[in-house]
Amino acid sequence: MLTAILAISLLALVFGLILGLSARYFQVESDPIVDKIDALLPQTQCGQCTFAGCRPYAEAMAKGEADINQCPPGGQATIDALAELLGVDSKPLNAEHGEEEEPTVAYIDEEVCIGCTLCIQACPVDAILGAAKQMHTVIADECTGCKLCIPPCPVECIDMVPIKQDIELWKWPYPETTPEASRTDTPQTQEAMP
Amino acid sequence: MGKDDKIKVEVAYALPDEQLILEVEVEPGTTVKQAILRSGVSGYFQDLDAEQSKVGIFGKLTKLDKVLKDGDRVEIYRPLIADPKEVRRQRAAAGKVMKKGAREADSQSDEK
Repeated sequence: MLTAILAISLLALVFGLILGLSARYFQVESDPIVDKIDALLPQTQCGQCTFAGCRPYAEAMAKGEADINQCPPGGQATIDALAELLGVDSKPLNAEHGEEEEPTVAYIDEEVCIGCTLCIQACPVDAILGAAKQMHTVIADECTGCKLCIPPCPVECIDMVPIKQDIELWKWPYPETTPEASRTDTPQTQEAMP
Repeated sequence: MGKDDKIKVEVAYALPDEQLILEVEVEPGTTVKQAILRSGVSGYFQDLDAEQSKVGIFGKLTKLDKVLKDGDRVEIYRPLIADPKEVRRQRAAAGKVMKKGAREADSQSDEK
């Protein structure tokens, strides 16, 4: 009886110690909900949500200071995912922040670029390769399509072009018929059947 | 991080339709030139002559013997095609604005 009590309390003590120590040593520094929200955002760092980047927006959302529908690059899919994560109702994108567009990347017209570096300074993700009086080139794989490089360009040599579709980017197109259309279609086909 | 640990740097070269960033692990004290040679970037592009090209780190021109730090991106540049003076002259002749934020300034003047 005594050994049983001793063994159990010893076990409890050891596990308690392990728990206590691991809580201290494996402490998560930031709020995990911020990380989860940040993981859902598209990381364009475009600032269209009025925050400096995706992480500040995630932090504001975690604090309840920002709404979930302020991210045009993410679009409805991101809003739905955020609604699910935060346990709130999904809503349409706030048009004040922009409209959902097809993904694009910046492309520099080499005939016109004067190597001024203003676009490089504007790029939030270091996706432009170039230096003063050297050719500037967009690294398409790094470009998030945030368009922040376009306004600073003094010679208007940057254009947004649709992302080249390859096997990794291709996805099934959305069905062309809307739910309303298919609903009106169904009775007609039923009438035609007999 | 101890002094003997290797540092990670990148070597990048970009053409309009093909860009390449190579990751290389090098010893501390490695120079820009050594990193470019180590990366083997010349093997990917026929016209690339890394010795003759201007190079830099994250948008700043540097010399080939500059010593790298961890996380640096060595960039190999290509010369401009356009003559900046000529582009400016043409834009001035066309009555376009030539300053920071040209596109916005133009659209505003169009509205007037």
